[in-house]
Amino acid sequence: MTLLEVRGLDAFYGDFQALFDLTLEVGSGETVALVGANGAGKTTFLKCLVGLIESKRGEIRFGGDDIATTPAERIAQLGLSLVPEGRLLFPSLTVEENLMMGALNRRPGAWTFDTVYELFPILRERRRQSPNSLSGGQQHMVAIGRALMSNPKLLLCDEISLGLAPMVIEQIYASFARIRAQGASIVLVEQDVKRAAGAADRVYCLLKGRVTLQGSARGLSLDDLSRAYFGA
Amino acid sequence: MIWVETIINGVLFGGLYGLLGVGLALIVGVMRVVNVSHGEFIVLAAFMGVSLAGLVPSVHPLVFLVPIVLVFFGLGYVLQAVLFNKIVSRPDPFAAILLTFGLAVVMRNVMLEGYGADPRTLTAGTLAHASVQILGLSIGILPLLMLGLSTVLFVALQLILTRTRFGRIMRATADNRDVVRLMGVNPARVYNVVMGLALALASVAGVLLAIRSSFTAYTGVERLLIAFEVVVLGGLGSFWGAMLGGILLGVVQLVGLKLDPNAGPLYAHLLFFVGVLLRPNGLLGART
Repeated sequence: MTLLEVRGLDAFYGDFQALFDLTLEVGSGETVALVGANGAGKTTFLKCLVGLIESKRGEIRFGGDDIATTPAERIAQLGLSLVPEGRLLFPSLTVEENLMMGALNRRPGAWTFDTVYELFPILRERRRQSPNSLSGGQQHMVAIGRALMSNPKLLLCDEISLGLAPMVIEQIYASFARIRAQGASIVLVEQDVKRAAGAADRVYCLLKGRVTLQGSARGLSLDDLSRAYFGA
Repeated sequence: MIWVETIINGVLFGGLYGLLGVGLALIVGVMRVVNVSHGEFIVLAAFMGVSLAGLVPSVHPLVFLVPIVLVFFGLGYVLQAVLFNKIVSRPDPFAAILLTFGLAVVMRNVMLEGYGADPRTLTAGTLAHASVQILGLSIGILPLLMLGLSTVLFVALQLILTRTRFGRIMRATADNRDVVRLMGVNPARVYNVVMGLALALASVAGVLLAIRSSFTAYTGVERLLIAFEVVVLGGLGSFWGAMLGGILLGVVQLVGLKLDPNAGPLYAHLLFFVGVLLRPNGLLGART
Protein backbone atom coordinates (compact mmCIF):
# COMPACT_ATOMS: atom_id res chain seq x y z
CA MET A 1 0.00 0.00 0.00
CA THR A 2 1.30 3.44 -0.87
CA LEU A 3 1.77 5.78 2.10
CA LEU A 4 3.34 8.74 0.35
CA GLU A 5 2.77 9.63 -3.27
CA VAL A 6 4.42 12.65 -4.85
CA ARG A 7 3.59 13.60 -8.44
CA GLY A 8 5.09 16.35 -10.58
CA LEU A 9 6.48 18.38 -7.69
CA ASP A 10 8.15 21.71 -8.50
CA ALA A 11 9.60 23.82 -5.68
CA PHE A 12 10.99 27.34 -5.68
CA TYR A 13 13.13 29.70 -3.62
CA GLY A 14 12.03 33.02 -5.06
CA ASP A 15 12.90 32.87 -8.77
CA PHE A 16 15.15 29.87 -8.32
CA GLN A 17 13.60 26.51 -9.06
CA ALA A 18 15.00 23.79 -6.78
CA LEU A 19 12.86 20.78 -7.75
CA PHE A 20 11.64 19.80 -11.21
CA ASP A 21 8.68 17.50 -11.85
CA LEU A 22 9.67 15.19 -9.03
CA THR A 23 7.74 11.95 -8.69
CA LEU A 24 8.32 9.54 -5.82
CA GLU A 25 6.49 6.90 -3.79
CA VAL A 26 6.99 5.39 -0.37
CA GLY A 27 5.10 2.24 0.55
CA SER A 28 3.74 1.40 3.97
CA GLY A 29 6.54 -0.03 6.11
CA GLU A 30 9.12 0.68 3.42
CA THR A 31 12.50 2.37 3.85
CA VAL A 32 13.50 4.58 0.96
CA ALA A 33 16.90 6.19 0.54
CA LEU A 34 17.22 9.52 -1.20
CA VAL A 35 20.79 10.14 -2.30
CA GLY A 36 22.48 12.90 -4.23
CA ALA A 37 25.26 15.46 -4.10
CA ASN A 38 25.11 18.75 -2.22
CA GLY A 39 22.47 21.02 -3.68
CA ALA A 40 20.61 18.21 -5.44
CA GLY A 41 17.37 19.21 -3.70
CA LYS A 42 17.14 16.45 -1.06
CA THR A 43 16.57 18.76 1.89
CA THR A 44 14.23 20.94 -0.18
CA PHE A 45 12.20 17.86 -0.98
CA LEU A 46 11.83 16.94 2.69
CA LYS A 47 10.89 20.52 3.57
CA CYS A 48 8.18 20.39 0.89
CA LEU A 49 6.77 17.23 2.44
CA VAL A 50 6.48 18.69 5.95
CA GLY A 51 5.11 22.00 4.70
CA LEU A 52 8.06 24.30 5.42
CA ILE A 53 8.29 25.33 1.76
CA GLU A 54 5.10 26.95 0.54
CA SER A 55 6.29 27.95 -2.89
CA LYS A 56 5.60 24.70 -4.69
CA ARG A 57 3.21 23.03 -7.09
CA GLY A 58 2.32 19.44 -7.80
CA GLU A 59 0.62 16.71 -5.86
CA ILE A 60 1.65 15.32 -2.46
CA ARG A 61 -0.64 12.64 -1.11
CA PHE A 62 -0.01 11.24 2.35
CA GLY A 63 -2.21 8.37 3.51
CA GLY A 64 -4.81 9.47 0.97
CA ASP A 65 -4.92 13.18 1.99
CA ASP A 66 -3.60 15.84 -0.37
CA ILE A 67 -1.18 17.82 1.79
CA ALA A 68 0.43 20.01 -0.88
CA THR A 69 -1.15 23.16 0.55
CA THR A 70 -1.57 22.07 4.19
CA PRO A 71 0.38 24.19 6.71
CA ALA A 72 3.29 22.53 8.52
CA GLU A 73 1.60 22.49 11.93
CA ARG A 74 -1.33 20.50 10.50
CA ILE A 75 0.86 18.08 8.56
CA ALA A 76 2.70 17.24 11.80
CA GLN A 77 -0.58 16.00 13.26
CA LEU A 78 -1.10 13.59 10.35
CA GLY A 79 1.96 11.54 11.31
CA LEU A 80 4.77 12.93 9.19
CA SER A 81 7.86 13.65 11.26
CA LEU A 82 11.18 15.18 10.28
CA VAL A 83 14.60 14.76 11.85
CA PRO A 84 16.03 17.97 10.41
CA GLU A 85 19.51 18.47 9.01
CA GLY A 86 21.74 19.85 11.75
CA ARG A 87 19.31 18.39 14.33
CA LEU A 88 17.80 21.80 15.24
CA LEU A 89 17.09 20.88 18.85
CA PHE A 90 15.74 23.51 21.24
CA PRO A 91 18.77 24.65 23.26
CA SER A 92 16.61 26.44 25.88
CA LEU A 93 14.92 23.14 26.73
CA THR A 94 16.34 20.07 28.45
CA VAL A 95 16.67 16.77 26.60
CA GLU A 96 13.44 15.52 28.14
CA GLU A 97 11.61 18.77 27.34
CA ASN A 98 12.78 18.40 23.73
CA LEU A 99 11.17 14.95 23.68
CA MET A 100 7.99 16.43 25.22
CA MET A 101 7.79 18.87 22.31
CA GLY A 102 7.67 15.87 19.98
CA ALA A 103 4.80 14.41 21.99
CA LEU A 104 2.65 17.58 21.73
CA ASN A 105 0.54 16.03 18.97
CA ARG A 106 -0.61 13.29 21.35
CA ARG A 107 -0.66 10.73 18.56
CA PRO A 108 -1.03 7.33 20.22
CA GLY A 109 1.43 4.54 19.51
CA ALA A 110 4.38 2.50 20.68
CA TRP A 111 6.78 5.43 21.21
CA THR A 112 6.83 6.92 24.69
CA PHE A 113 9.57 8.26 26.98
CA ASP A 114 10.24 4.68 28.09
CA THR A 115 10.58 3.18 24.63
CA VAL A 116 12.68 6.09 23.37
CA TYR A 117 14.98 5.81 26.40
CA GLU A 118 15.16 2.06 25.77
CA LEU A 119 16.23 2.73 22.19
CA PHE A 120 18.87 5.28 23.28
CA PRO A 121 19.68 4.53 26.95
CA ILE A 122 22.21 7.37 27.20
CA LEU A 123 19.36 9.88 26.84
CA ARG A 124 17.78 8.74 30.09
CA GLU A 125 20.99 9.67 31.91
CA ARG A 126 21.16 13.02 30.14
CA ARG A 127 17.47 13.87 30.27
CA ARG A 128 17.87 16.90 32.56
CA GLN A 129 20.76 18.40 30.58
CA SER A 130 20.76 20.98 27.85
CA PRO A 131 21.16 19.39 24.42
CA ASN A 132 24.15 21.70 23.86
CA SER A 133 26.10 19.72 26.47
CA LEU A 134 25.66 16.47 24.51
CA SER A 135 27.95 15.00 21.86
CA GLY A 136 26.91 15.23 18.21
CA GLY A 137 25.75 11.62 18.14
CA GLN A 138 23.71 12.04 21.31
CA GLN A 139 22.12 15.16 19.87
CA HIS A 140 21.09 13.11 16.83
CA MET A 141 19.51 10.60 19.17
CA VAL A 142 17.50 13.40 20.80
CA ALA A 143 16.40 14.63 17.37
CA ILE A 144 15.32 11.12 16.34
CA GLY A 145 13.65 10.57 19.71
CA ARG A 146 11.80 13.88 19.42
CA ALA A 147 10.51 12.87 15.98
CA LEU A 148 9.50 9.40 17.22
CA MET A 149 7.55 10.79 20.19
CA SER A 150 4.79 11.83 17.77
CA ASN A 151 4.49 8.20 16.65
CA PRO A 152 4.91 9.02 12.96
CA LYS A 153 3.68 6.87 10.10
CA LEU A 154 6.57 8.25 8.08
CA LEU A 155 9.91 9.31 9.58
CA LEU A 156 12.06 11.61 7.44
CA CYS A 157 15.77 11.69 8.35
CA ASP A 158 17.93 14.39 6.83
CA GLU A 159 21.67 13.64 6.74
CA ILE A 160 21.79 12.00 10.12
CA SER A 161 25.29 10.61 9.62
CA LEU A 162 26.80 13.99 8.80
CA GLY A 163 29.80 14.74 10.99
CA LEU A 164 29.46 11.64 13.18
CA ALA A 165 32.04 8.99 14.05
CA PRO A 166 31.52 5.70 12.17
CA MET A 167 30.72 3.83 15.38
CA VAL A 168 27.99 6.29 16.30
CA ILE A 169 26.58 6.06 12.77
CA GLU A 170 26.40 2.26 13.15
CA GLN A 171 24.50 2.68 16.39
CA ILE A 172 21.99 5.10 14.88
CA TYR A 173 21.47 2.96 11.80
CA ALA A 174 20.96 -0.06 14.04
CA SER A 175 18.05 1.79 15.67
CA PHE A 176 16.20 1.89 12.34
CA ALA A 177 15.42 -1.81 12.61
CA ARG A 178 13.53 -1.11 15.85
CA ILE A 179 11.76 1.90 14.33
CA ARG A 180 10.65 -0.16 11.32
CA ALA A 181 9.49 -2.94 13.59
CA GLN A 182 6.98 -0.49 15.07
CA GLY A 183 5.51 -0.09 11.60
CA ALA A 184 6.89 3.28 10.51
CA SER A 185 8.09 3.96 7.00
CA ILE A 186 11.39 5.80 6.69
CA VAL A 187 12.89 8.17 4.15
CA LEU A 188 16.65 8.47 4.57
CA VAL A 189 18.45 11.36 2.99
CA GLU A 190 22.16 10.68 2.66
CA GLN A 191 25.26 11.68 0.80
CA ASP A 192 26.84 8.35 1.72
CA VAL A 193 25.32 6.17 -1.00
CA LYS A 194 26.56 2.80 0.27
CA ARG A 195 25.34 3.37 3.79
CA ALA A 196 21.92 4.52 2.58
CA ALA A 197 21.50 1.70 0.06
CA GLY A 198 22.46 -0.83 2.73
CA ALA A 199 19.64 0.32 5.01
CA ALA A 200 16.94 0.89 2.39
CA ASP A 201 14.56 -1.16 0.29
CA ARG A 202 14.62 1.25 -2.61
CA VAL A 203 16.84 4.13 -3.69
CA TYR A 204 16.12 7.39 -5.48
CA CYS A 205 18.98 9.51 -6.77
CA LEU A 206 18.53 13.26 -7.24
CA LEU A 207 20.63 15.54 -9.39
CA LYS A 208 19.98 19.27 -9.73
CA GLY A 209 16.38 18.89 -8.59
CA ARG A 210 15.47 15.93 -10.81
CA VAL A 211 15.19 12.20 -10.18
CA THR A 212 17.99 10.64 -12.20
CA LEU A 213 17.69 7.07 -10.98
CA GLN A 214 15.33 4.90 -9.00
CA GLY A 215 15.24 1.24 -8.21
CA SER A 216 15.56 -1.55 -5.73
CA ALA A 217 18.51 -1.09 -3.36
CA ARG A 218 19.69 -4.64 -4.01
CA GLY A 219 20.00 -4.72 -7.77
CA LEU A 220 21.71 -1.34 -7.93
CA SER A 221 24.61 -1.04 -10.37
CA LEU A 222 27.38 1.22 -9.06
CA ASP A 223 28.08 2.50 -12.58
CA ASP A 224 24.49 3.59 -13.10
CA LEU A 225 24.37 5.13 -9.66
CA SER A 226 27.61 7.00 -10.17
CA ARG A 227 26.26 8.42 -13.44
CA ALA A 228 23.00 9.43 -11.78
CA TYR A 229 24.84 10.97 -8.84
CA PHE A 230 27.41 13.02 -10.74
CA GLY A 231 25.52 13.44 -14.02
CA ALA A 232 28.42 12.23 -16.16
CA MET B 1 19.85 56.12 58.51
CA ILE B 2 18.30 58.45 55.95
CA TRP B 3 20.53 56.83 53.30
CA VAL B 4 19.41 53.34 54.18
CA GLU B 5 15.86 54.56 53.80
CA THR B 6 16.63 56.09 50.43
CA ILE B 7 18.21 52.87 49.21
CA ILE B 8 15.26 50.81 50.42
CA ASN B 9 12.88 53.21 48.69
CA GLY B 10 15.02 52.88 45.57
CA VAL B 11 14.66 49.10 45.67
CA LEU B 12 10.90 49.42 46.11
CA PHE B 13 10.65 51.89 43.24
CA GLY B 14 13.01 49.80 41.11
CA GLY B 15 10.76 46.77 41.29
CA LEU B 16 8.25 48.86 39.39
CA TYR B 17 10.90 49.78 36.81
CA GLY B 18 11.60 46.08 36.45
CA LEU B 19 7.92 45.54 35.73
CA LEU B 20 8.09 48.27 33.04
CA GLY B 21 10.82 46.30 31.30
CA VAL B 22 9.69 42.72 31.73
CA GLY B 23 6.92 42.91 29.14
CA LEU B 24 9.42 44.25 26.64
CA ALA B 25 11.91 41.55 27.66
CA LEU B 26 9.27 38.90 27.01
CA ILE B 27 8.58 40.23 23.50
CA VAL B 28 12.28 40.54 22.68
CA GLY B 29 13.00 37.12 24.14
CA VAL B 30 10.28 35.16 22.35
CA MET B 31 9.70 37.09 19.11
CA ARG B 32 13.10 38.77 18.61
CA VAL B 33 11.39 42.05 17.77
CA VAL B 34 11.16 45.36 19.60
CA ASN B 35 7.84 46.98 20.44
CA VAL B 36 8.47 50.73 20.29
CA SER B 37 4.88 51.43 21.33
CA HIS B 38 5.39 49.67 24.69
CA GLY B 39 5.51 53.03 26.52
CA GLU B 40 2.25 54.20 24.97
CA PHE B 41 0.49 51.05 26.16
CA ILE B 42 1.83 51.72 29.66
CA VAL B 43 0.34 55.23 29.53
CA LEU B 44 -2.91 54.00 27.98
CA ALA B 45 -3.36 51.66 30.95
CA ALA B 46 -2.85 54.65 33.27
CA PHE B 47 -5.48 56.69 31.39
CA MET B 48 -7.85 53.76 31.61
CA GLY B 49 -7.29 53.86 35.37
CA VAL B 50 -8.13 57.59 35.36
CA SER B 51 -11.35 56.93 33.43
CA LEU B 52 -12.37 54.16 35.81
CA ALA B 53 -11.61 56.42 38.77
CA GLY B 54 -13.96 58.99 37.23
CA LEU B 55 -16.70 56.40 36.77
CA VAL B 56 -16.46 54.77 40.20
CA PRO B 57 -14.61 57.21 42.49
CA SER B 58 -15.31 55.17 45.62
CA VAL B 59 -13.28 52.17 44.42
CA HIS B 60 -9.54 52.05 45.21
CA PRO B 61 -7.37 52.34 42.05
CA LEU B 62 -5.50 49.13 42.86
CA VAL B 63 -8.78 47.29 42.25
CA PHE B 64 -8.84 48.67 38.70
CA LEU B 65 -5.84 46.46 37.97
CA VAL B 66 -8.15 43.47 37.52
CA PRO B 67 -10.28 44.75 34.61
CA ILE B 68 -7.34 46.66 33.08
CA VAL B 69 -5.08 43.59 33.02
CA LEU B 70 -7.82 41.54 31.36
CA VAL B 71 -8.51 44.22 28.74
CA PHE B 72 -4.79 44.59 27.98
CA PHE B 73 -4.29 40.86 27.61
CA GLY B 74 -7.10 40.84 25.06
CA LEU B 75 -5.75 43.96 23.37
CA GLY B 76 -2.28 42.41 23.02
CA TYR B 77 -3.71 39.16 21.69
CA VAL B 78 -5.86 40.88 19.06
CA LEU B 79 -3.16 43.38 17.99
CA GLN B 80 -0.68 40.57 17.50
CA ALA B 81 -3.21 38.48 15.57
CA VAL B 82 -4.41 41.21 13.18
CA LEU B 83 -1.31 43.42 12.92
CA PHE B 84 2.03 42.36 14.40
CA ASN B 85 2.04 38.77 13.09
CA LYS B 86 2.22 40.19 9.58
CA ILE B 87 5.70 41.55 10.26
CA VAL B 88 7.18 39.33 12.99
CA SER B 89 8.38 36.66 10.58
CA ARG B 90 10.23 39.12 8.37
CA PRO B 91 13.97 38.82 8.50
CA ASP B 92 14.63 42.55 8.78
CA PRO B 93 13.84 44.05 12.18
CA PHE B 94 13.02 47.50 10.79
CA ALA B 95 9.53 46.45 9.74
CA ALA B 96 8.60 45.84 13.38
CA ILE B 97 10.27 49.04 14.58
CA LEU B 98 8.53 51.16 11.94
CA LEU B 99 5.13 49.60 12.51
CA THR B 100 5.24 49.95 16.30
CA PHE B 101 6.74 53.44 16.05
CA GLY B 102 3.83 54.47 13.84
CA LEU B 103 1.40 52.90 16.25
CA ALA B 104 3.06 54.82 19.12
CA VAL B 105 2.61 58.15 17.31
CA VAL B 106 -1.04 57.41 16.58
CA MET B 107 -1.74 56.26 20.13
CA ARG B 108 0.01 59.29 21.68
CA ASN B 109 -2.10 61.70 19.64
CA VAL B 110 -5.34 59.84 20.20
CA MET B 111 -4.68 59.93 23.97
CA LEU B 112 -3.87 63.65 23.73
CA GLU B 113 -7.15 64.18 21.88
CA GLY B 114 -9.13 62.17 24.39
CA TYR B 115 -7.55 63.24 27.68
CA GLY B 116 -5.91 66.60 26.99
CA ALA B 117 -2.39 67.70 27.87
CA ASP B 118 -2.79 68.23 31.64
CA PRO B 119 -0.74 65.99 33.94
CA ARG B 120 -2.84 63.32 35.61
CA THR B 121 -2.34 60.99 38.54
CA LEU B 122 -4.25 58.20 40.20
CA THR B 123 -4.82 58.93 43.88
CA ALA B 124 -4.45 56.05 46.29
CA GLY B 125 -6.19 57.77 49.21
CA THR B 126 -4.88 57.16 52.72
CA LEU B 127 -2.85 54.18 51.52
CA ALA B 128 -0.55 56.59 49.67
CA HIS B 129 0.82 58.01 52.92
CA ALA B 130 0.59 54.96 55.18
CA SER B 131 3.92 53.60 56.36
CA VAL B 132 5.35 51.01 58.70
CA GLN B 133 8.23 51.47 61.13
CA ILE B 134 10.86 48.75 60.76
CA LEU B 135 14.06 49.07 62.87
CA GLY B 136 13.48 52.78 63.11
CA LEU B 137 13.04 53.12 59.35
CA SER B 138 9.85 54.47 57.85
CA ILE B 139 8.81 52.37 54.85
CA GLY B 140 5.76 53.24 52.75
CA ILE B 141 3.12 50.51 52.60
CA LEU B 142 2.11 51.30 49.02
CA PRO B 143 5.66 50.97 47.59
CA LEU B 144 6.01 47.78 49.61
CA LEU B 145 2.78 46.45 48.08
CA MET B 146 4.00 47.42 44.62
CA LEU B 147 7.31 45.61 45.03
CA GLY B 148 5.42 42.60 46.37
CA LEU B 149 3.12 42.59 43.35
CA SER B 150 6.06 42.97 40.94
CA THR B 151 7.85 40.07 42.61
CA VAL B 152 4.77 37.86 42.48
CA LEU B 153 4.36 38.62 38.78
CA PHE B 154 8.05 37.89 38.09
CA VAL B 155 7.90 34.59 39.95
CA ALA B 156 4.63 33.65 38.23
CA LEU B 157 6.10 34.40 34.81
CA GLN B 158 9.20 32.40 35.63
CA LEU B 159 7.08 29.42 36.79
CA ILE B 160 4.95 29.59 33.66
CA LEU B 161 8.08 29.59 31.50
CA THR B 162 9.90 26.78 33.25
CA ARG B 163 7.16 24.51 34.57
CA THR B 164 4.21 24.57 32.19
CA ARG B 165 3.49 23.10 28.80
CA PHE B 166 2.85 26.54 27.36
CA GLY B 167 6.10 27.85 28.84
CA ARG B 168 7.95 25.04 27.09
CA ILE B 169 6.24 25.93 23.83
CA MET B 170 7.20 29.61 24.32
CA ARG B 171 10.87 28.78 24.89
CA ALA B 172 10.94 26.36 21.96
CA THR B 173 9.28 28.94 19.68
CA ALA B 174 11.89 31.50 20.77
CA ASP B 175 14.61 29.00 19.84
CA ASN B 176 13.24 28.18 16.40
CA ARG B 177 9.89 29.24 15.01
CA ASP B 178 10.07 26.84 12.06
CA VAL B 179 10.95 23.70 13.97
CA VAL B 180 8.04 24.06 16.43
CA ARG B 181 5.72 23.90 13.44
CA LEU B 182 6.99 20.37 12.86
CA MET B 183 5.60 19.55 16.31
CA GLY B 184 2.17 20.92 15.44
CA VAL B 185 2.63 24.34 17.05
CA ASN B 186 1.42 27.44 15.21
CA PRO B 187 3.96 30.15 16.18
CA ALA B 188 1.46 32.93 15.40
CA ARG B 189 -0.85 31.69 18.17
CA VAL B 190 2.07 31.53 20.61
CA TYR B 191 2.96 35.12 19.70
CA ASN B 192 -0.65 36.23 20.30
CA VAL B 193 -0.53 34.97 23.87
CA VAL B 194 2.98 36.36 24.45
CA MET B 195 1.88 39.83 23.32
CA GLY B 196 -1.20 39.51 25.53
CA LEU B 197 1.00 38.67 28.54
CA ALA B 198 3.47 41.47 27.71
CA LEU B 199 0.77 44.13 27.51
CA ALA B 200 -0.94 42.79 30.65
CA LEU B 201 2.37 43.22 32.53
CA ALA B 202 2.84 46.68 30.97
CA SER B 203 -0.64 47.69 32.12
CA VAL B 204 0.12 46.74 35.73
CA ALA B 205 3.28 48.85 35.59
CA GLY B 206 1.33 51.71 33.99
CA VAL B 207 -1.36 51.82 36.68
CA LEU B 208 1.13 51.51 39.56
CA LEU B 209 3.39 54.22 38.14
CA ALA B 210 0.38 56.50 37.70
CA ILE B 211 -0.25 56.18 41.43
CA ARG B 212 3.37 57.13 42.21
CA SER B 213 3.90 59.97 39.76
CA SER B 214 1.94 62.13 37.34
CA PHE B 215 1.80 61.45 33.64
CA THR B 216 0.58 62.95 30.36
CA ALA B 217 -0.04 61.57 26.90
CA TYR B 218 3.65 62.24 26.19
CA THR B 219 4.96 60.20 29.13
CA GLY B 220 5.13 57.04 27.01
CA VAL B 221 8.52 58.04 25.61
CA GLU B 222 10.05 58.25 29.10
CA ARG B 223 8.43 54.98 30.11
CA LEU B 224 9.79 53.30 26.98
CA LEU B 225 13.25 54.69 27.67
CA ILE B 226 13.24 53.25 31.19
CA ALA B 227 11.84 49.95 29.87
CA PHE B 228 14.64 49.77 27.29
CA GLU B 229 17.29 50.60 29.87
CA VAL B 230 15.94 47.94 32.20
CA VAL B 231 15.96 45.31 29.46
CA VAL B 232 19.39 46.19 28.06
CA LEU B 233 21.01 46.68 31.47
CA GLY B 234 19.69 43.33 32.66
CA GLY B 235 20.54 41.43 29.49
CA LEU B 236 18.26 41.19 26.44
CA GLY B 237 15.41 38.78 27.04
CA SER B 238 16.41 37.90 30.63
CA PHE B 239 13.60 38.35 33.16
CA TRP B 240 15.64 38.27 36.34
CA GLY B 241 18.05 40.61 34.57
CA ALA B 242 15.12 42.98 33.99
CA MET B 243 14.18 42.88 37.67
CA LEU B 244 17.79 43.46 38.73
CA GLY B 245 18.26 46.24 36.14
CA GLY B 246 15.05 47.91 37.32
CA ILE B 247 16.10 47.83 40.97
CA LEU B 248 19.56 49.23 40.18
CA LEU B 249 18.04 52.07 38.16
CA GLY B 250 15.54 52.79 40.94
CA VAL B 251 18.20 52.93 43.66
CA VAL B 252 20.56 55.09 41.62
CA GLN B 253 17.76 57.46 40.65
CA LEU B 254 16.60 58.04 44.24
CA VAL B 255 20.13 58.30 45.63
CA GLY B 256 20.96 60.71 42.81
CA LEU B 257 17.91 62.82 43.62
CA LYS B 258 18.97 62.96 47.24
CA LEU B 259 22.42 64.24 46.32
CA ASP B 260 21.22 66.56 43.62
CA PRO B 261 17.49 67.36 43.79
CA ASN B 262 17.45 68.85 40.28
CA ALA B 263 18.94 65.78 38.64
CA GLY B 264 15.69 63.96 37.80
CA PRO B 265 16.47 60.58 36.25
CA LEU B 266 19.94 61.78 35.09
CA TYR B 267 21.93 59.42 37.33
CA ALA B 268 19.82 56.44 36.30
CA HIS B 269 20.60 57.20 32.67
CA LEU B 270 24.29 57.61 33.53
CA LEU B 271 24.24 54.23 35.25
CA PHE B 272 22.75 52.74 32.11
CA PHE B 273 25.47 54.37 30.00
CA VAL B 274 28.25 53.03 32.21
CA GLY B 275 26.56 49.62 32.43
CA VAL B 276 26.42 49.28 28.66
CA LEU B 277 30.07 50.34 28.36
CA LEU B 278 31.23 47.81 30.94
CA ARG B 279 28.86 44.93 30.16
CA PRO B 280 27.39 45.35 26.66
CA ASN B 281 25.48 42.07 26.99
CA GLY B 282 23.83 43.13 30.22
CA LEU B 283 24.22 41.96 33.80
CA LEU B 284 22.69 38.54 33.23
CA GLY B 285 23.13 38.35 29.46
CA ALA B 286 25.42 35.83 27.80
CA ARG B 287 29.06 36.87 27.60
CA THR B 288 30.47 36.85 24.11
